[in-house]
Amino acid sequence: MAEPAAQTAFAEEALTHLDTLYRGALRLTHDPDQAQDLVQEAYLRALRYQHSYQAGTNMRAWLFAIMRNLFWDRFKGSRKEDVSLDDLGEFVLFEKLRDEGARPEADVLDKIAASEVVSAVDKLPPLHREVVLLVDVEGFSYKDAADTLGVPIGTVMSRLHRARQQLQKSLYDYAVESGIVRPGGMKQVPQT
Amino acid sequence: MRCEECSDKLDRYVDRELNDTEALQVQLHLEGCPDCMDHYEFEAHLKRLVKHSCDCDTAPKAFREKLRQILS
Repeated sequence: MAEPAAQTAFAEEALTHLDTLYRGALRLTHDPDQAQDLVQEAYLRALRYQHSYQAGTNMRAWLFAIMRNLFWDRFKGSRKEDVSLDDLGEFVLFEKLRDEGARPEADVLDKIAASEVVSAVDKLPPLHREVVLLVDVEGFSYKDAADTLGVPIGTVMSRLHRARQQLQKSLYDYAVESGIVRPGGMKQVPQT
Repeated sequence: MRCEECSDKLDRYVDRELNDTEALQVQLHLEGCPDCMDHYEFEAHLKRLVKHSCDCDTAPKAFREKLRQILS
C-alpha cells in the first residue's frame, strides 16, 4: 500500500477523470445507479492496483480500461460477442442527404436534438459504442483507444467506421420519421 | 489527390490521425474541391454534435464527494 500522502495525491489525480468515467459507465449501463456502482468499484480497484500505474502515462485511459473491463466482467460475463454491423453496408449520411436535395446538408444536423443523438449512440452494440465514446466524446487518439480496449489500432478504426455508419443511419431514420427530411423529393431543409 | 482518396481519408483527417504529409495532401485537395470541403465540414460538424450531445453528463456532486471520502 502506498504512503498516505502518495495515496491522497493519486486519488486526487484520479478524481479529475471522474466525469469521463461516469459518462462512459452511464452510456455502457444506461442506468445512473449501475454507473455509480461501476465507477466506484473501478476507483477502488485502481487504488488497490495503483502500483501498476506508471506515473506520467495516460491515467484517464488506464482508469477507463479498468472501468470497461469491470463492465464486461459484471454485465457481460466477459463475453465480448457483438452484434455485427456489417449488414448495413456503406451508409454515408452526407451523400444520402445530398442525393435527396437537402442543402446545405449540415442544416439537417442542426435540427436533430441532442437527446436523439444520445439515443442513437445508446443503440450501438457495446463494442462499437465504447469506441465512439472514447474517440468522439472523450477525444482519445486511436492509439490510446486501442490501448484502453486492448485491441489493435486497425480494430479501433474498423469498429469506429461501422459505428459511425450505424449512427448516421439512426439519425437519418429519425430525421425522416420526424419530418426533418423527406426522402426522394426534398429540395431544401424545412425551416422551423 | 482524387475525391475518392480524399473520402477514404476523411475520417482520419477529422480525427487528426493522418501524418503531416497526408494531412497536407487532404487539406490541399479540400481547398480546391468544394464538394469534398462540404463533406469534410459535415463530418466535423457531426463529430462535434456527438461530443456535445454526450458530454453534458457529469458525475453528481454527492457521488463525487462520496468517492473522495472512500478514497481518502
